[in-house]
Amino acid sequence: MEWIFYTLAFLIATAISGTAVYALYWSSKHGQLRDFERGATSIFDEQEPVGQMTDHFPTKRRKPLAPDAKP
Amino acid sequence: MASTSSLAASLNPATLPDAVSRAELSEIDASAKWPVIVFLLSSLVWLLVGTVFALISSFKLHTPGFLGDYEWLTFGRARTAHLNAVIYGWSTNVAFAVAFWLMARLSRAALRHAGVLVIAACFWNLGVTLGVIGILAGDSTSIEWLEIPPYATPLLFVAYALIGGWAVITFRFRRAEHIYVSQWYLLAALFWFPWLYSIAQIMLVFEPARGTVQALVNWWFAHNVLGLWFTPIGLAAAYYFIPKVLGKPIHSYYLSVLGFWSLAIFYNWAGVHHLIGGPVPAWVISAGIAASLMMVIPVVVTGINHHLTMVGSFGALRYSPTLRFVVFGAVNYTLVSLIGSTMAIRSVNEITHFTHFTVAHAHQGLYAFFSMVMFGAIYYILPRILLKEWPSAALIRTHFWAAAIGVTLYWIDLSIGGWIQGVEMNNPDIAFLDVVQHTIPWLFVRSVAGIIMTIGHLAFAVNVGWMLCAKRPAGATAPTLFRSPQALPVAPAR
Repeated sequence: MEWIFYTLAFLIATAISGTAVYALYWSSKHGQLRDFERGATSIFDEQEPVGQMTDHFPTKRRKPLAPDAKP
Repeated sequence: MASTSSLAASLNPATLPDAVSRAELSEIDASAKWPVIVFLLSSLVWLLVGTVFALISSFKLHTPGFLGDYEWLTFGRARTAHLNAVIYGWSTNVAFAVAFWLMARLSRAALRHAGVLVIAACFWNLGVTLGVIGILAGDSTSIEWLEIPPYATPLLFVAYALIGGWAVITFRFRRAEHIYVSQWYLLAALFWFPWLYSIAQIMLVFEPARGTVQALVNWWFAHNVLGLWFTPIGLAAAYYFIPKVLGKPIHSYYLSVLGFWSLAIFYNWAGVHHLIGGPVPAWVISAGIAASLMMVIPVVVTGINHHLTMVGSFGALRYSPTLRFVVFGAVNYTLVSLIGSTMAIRSVNEITHFTHFTVAHAHQGLYAFFSMVMFGAIYYILPRILLKEWPSAALIRTHFWAAAIGVTLYWIDLSIGGWIQGVEMNNPDIAFLDVVQHTIPWLFVRSVAGIIMTIGHLAFAVNVGWMLCAKRPAGATAPTLFRSPQALPVAPAR
């Protein structure tokens, strides 16, 4: 009985490794591994552009202070 | 829109007209609202439950008589209940919440039929509740990290099938051209976790493997839950929040991709280092040690990336709660991983094995790194889905400082105490009971650290509850409340 599970485990492990290899092949074929600069900026858009901090402590005081984060 | 399409059409993007454009951030945040809230609130409840069991177990180690008359609170049960409550209750629930919000945002696609995820969340939490009650009742399987009794695990499987499937569907509906590095981590984690969990369940609980294979499967599973489930989710969040909060792209995107693929190759092998000195073929152990040391590559690469992105922007830590927690977590990721690789070296392992050093290491990984990054993520996500500000900056600061000081005291204290314990245990001239006695002061400090962390958790819970009850300001429809920070009243945190 045990060997059925060992075989199953082996097949699943092979399939998982196979998907990893395929994912690497797919990403290379679809240009995901090119133009890294564009990739790095893909999380920004016109609503939340590069150079704009998007998180602050809440406060009730009306005392604007520019964050000193340099883009 | 997602709400009007049929369930079948929501499973396959090919059935949709191409006219569906990238969703607005507000639309995405709104679509993820209910599943994220349900997962976050459940995780918060489990965090508090886990904390109670943590304190009980910690007190029992230096004051054995504490609650000694209750059989369901003996150390073996309370400690196991703590572990399962924080792993499957707090950490996994919060990982689901953050993973879904991130996946939807990065895919630029609204979550479709989010109600399915709410049902999955109910199944998951029912499974964990049943599991923890089962453990307290004495039904633990006694297999480390898989103690939840077999009658509760089918619920977890059903929930996970829905959750994993839904994440892949959200990814398939993506409207973003580029797959950001966080998405790689999230997708990989969502594939790896069911693999680890199902193989471990089959080979350890349903049809237990015999002999040393059982120990190998156990540690392959237990270590990989950290390395291939929590670590990728934590890193996915760090890779998103550090650049996003700063408004500054990650230092080297190339390195981030290298880091992901090297983690995928090496981590799976590393768990065997828990069996150094055990009756396992020597080559298996050596392979595990080699893989543990190879982990230095993804760790250093990720460390360089996170920390160099911060260079020149440390001032921002004064203003952003999210950044504080996430950067604290990222620094601890570098530290805990390098310490972990060192612990895999045979001569070091001879001392640290079977001591409190390992406990310190586990808490630095799961709390100082993973949980802190997740806290940071929650501080970013909740205002955006509830369209409300956090009600109290003071409570956020209390949470941060209590958690940061508490966990740092915890892991440094137990690392020193554990090292001394290991050196003494290797000395045949010192009686075992003396070694045990010598650990008591360190265990006492551990309880103090636990109390400090508890203060942070309470501050966090009060802030979340207060935020949920607070009235939403009129006209709050923006995707984030912080769209134009110059116009917002911003004060440095003190």
